[in-house]
Amino acid sequence: MPDVSGTKRITDVGPHDYHDFLHPVIKNNYGKWKYHEILSPAHMVHVSEAGDKIYSVRVGSPRLVSGFFIRDLCDLADKYTGGYLRFTTRNNVEFLLDKEENIEPLMNDIKKLNLPLGGIGNVVANIVHTQGWIHCHTAASDASGVTKALMDDLYEYYIDAKLPAKVRIAFACCLNMCGAVHCSDIAVLGIHRRPPKLVPDKIINLCEIPSTIASCPTNAIRPDTYNGKPNVKLIEEACVFCGNCFTVCSGMPISDPLNDGVSIWVGGKVSNARTKPSFSKLAVPYLENDPPRWPKVVEAVKTILDAYKNGAEKGERVGEWIERIGWPKFFNITGFKFTKYHIDDFRLGEATMNYSAQVRQ
Amino acid sequence: MPSFAFNGKTIETDDEGYLQILDNWNKEIAEYLAKEEGITLTEKHWELIEWVRDYFFKFQVAPAIKSLIKEVGKLENLPDKKEANKFIYELFPEGPAKQLAKIAGLPKPTGCV
Ligand code: HEM
Ligand code: HEM
Ligand code: SF4
Ligand code: SF4
Repeated sequence: MPDVSGTKRITDVGPHDYHDFLHPVIKNNYGKWKYHEILSPAHMVHVSEAGDKIYSVRVGSPRLVSGFFIRDLCDLADKYTGGYLRFTTRNNVEFLLDKEENIEPLMNDIKKLNLPLGGIGNVVANIVHTQGWIHCHTAASDASGVTKALMDDLYEYYIDAKLPAKVRIAFACCLNMCGAVHCSDIAVLGIHRRPPKLVPDKIINLCEIPSTIASCPTNAIRPDTYNGKPNVKLIEEACVFCGNCFTVCSGMPISDPLNDGVSIWVGGKVSNARTKPSFSKLAVPYLENDPPRWPKVVEAVKTILDAYKNGAEKGERVGEWIERIGWPKFFNITGFKFTKYHIDDFRLGEATMNYSAQVRQ
Repeated sequence: MPSFAFNGKTIETDDEGYLQILDNWNKEIAEYLAKEEGITLTEKHWELIEWVRDYFFKFQVAPAIKSLIKEVGKLENLPDKKEANKFIYELFPEGPAKQLAKIAGLPKPTGCV
């Protein structure tokens, strides 16, 4: 570590220019790629117009990782790739190599560390997930816990490409969804089911009243007085349990061990191959939190995956498969109940000042 | 919850040192909080502290940096916004939210500065 004692920390410098970290082969062939080929679920090659080749070897990571884990990865990179590796948006690790002969020894060393090789092609890639109970104040469920339980069960689909198409699974522990659950093939989303509880004394002492009112996307928080002082009240019917208010005002806690749980969504995707990108739609409105292994969530995801695997044609994503067979049939095959919660009848959001495409604070 | 003892009373703060109860604030505590931040309060500091407190109790929200700069422009006759901004940061080097609001006993501001 460089000695920085006595120097002032410089902030607001922005991110480092990523070009400085590109592999030389990538830098030399920037924007000039001819084709790629998936060689196994764990490695692929990109070939440039000039004929240069860059290999990626992909490894799963649990996202919440230790310094030791990073050091292990860096040692491997130093040994085989000239120090080049990257983390993908789904928290996979990709080693980038230009020497084909290094692939096998690298993979052998990865196996020695007991890390999963895979994640490329028609697989269940790493589950992208959020902070959960480890870190976030809004979490309605855990993130890494559910993800671990799921991936333990879906491991065979990570190391082997035996699905009709790629299946992207996401987990977000609340509907603010740092986890892209709105556009994943299968998505698990933590949900609150009760409005926040107001603690007026805390609100007076800890919160800015106008910011608290403005934080609510449905205008459910209104000005009020309490003991003669400015405070807020809540129109409970308008609350969508988003937890935004708790982010700016700790006098409005929303976590509720009895009523919090998860919902499951299906059929989203971001790619526009074959069909347009699509949003995820609700499949299972509520499952209770049952840590540490969340068996009901694992079972529901397994049910969807099995039905998809048996029913979809080659190349069909989960959403495309459901659109082809029809939603009634999807509910039939999976045995999930279609309930009133599957019908979006919430209209209060439209009547507020928040219903606008303008950027607002 | 973190706290400190002051004149025989326990004063609760959050993890970052903002007071948890508005009524616990008084001038001596402000001096103490300032010392913790490495700041010796001068008349200039007090002008701003009193102004943000008035503002907060009127509007229940800490002023946006824009209003603060405007006020300083008036108080100090610094019509140039950059000069006014510099003036604030000279008094409160870590910024108005981190230090001015904290010393003034306000809840942690939700705004961006
Ligand atoms: C794939 C989705 C995302 C993941 C997995 C993710 C993950 C993380 C993690 C691990 C942290 C550090 C948390 C900690 O301090 O322990 C973080 C911080 C943060 N994330 Fe995200 N994030 C995601 C998406 C987003 C999005 C979409 C935004 C906003 C547009 C965002 C904004 C932030 C901010 C503001 C911080 C705090 C940064 C700081 O103060 O240092 N994140 N995120
Ligand atoms: C006028 C608007 C804003 C101002 C004046 C502002 C100012 C600041 C300042 C002074 C810091 C502290 C920097 C430091 O010393 O570490 C900061 C941090 C940060 N801001 Fe903003 N900000 C603004 C808007 C935003 C917006 C819109 C976003 C996100 C979309 C954002 C995201 C962040 C994040 C993630 C950090 C943490 C960075 C770190 O921990 O190093 N800010 N901002
Ligand atoms: S998804 Fe919600 S609860 Fe989870 S980390 Fe993001 S904001 Fe917090
Ligand atoms: S901000 Fe969200 S949780 Fe809070 S009252 Fe409004 S809708 Fe409900």
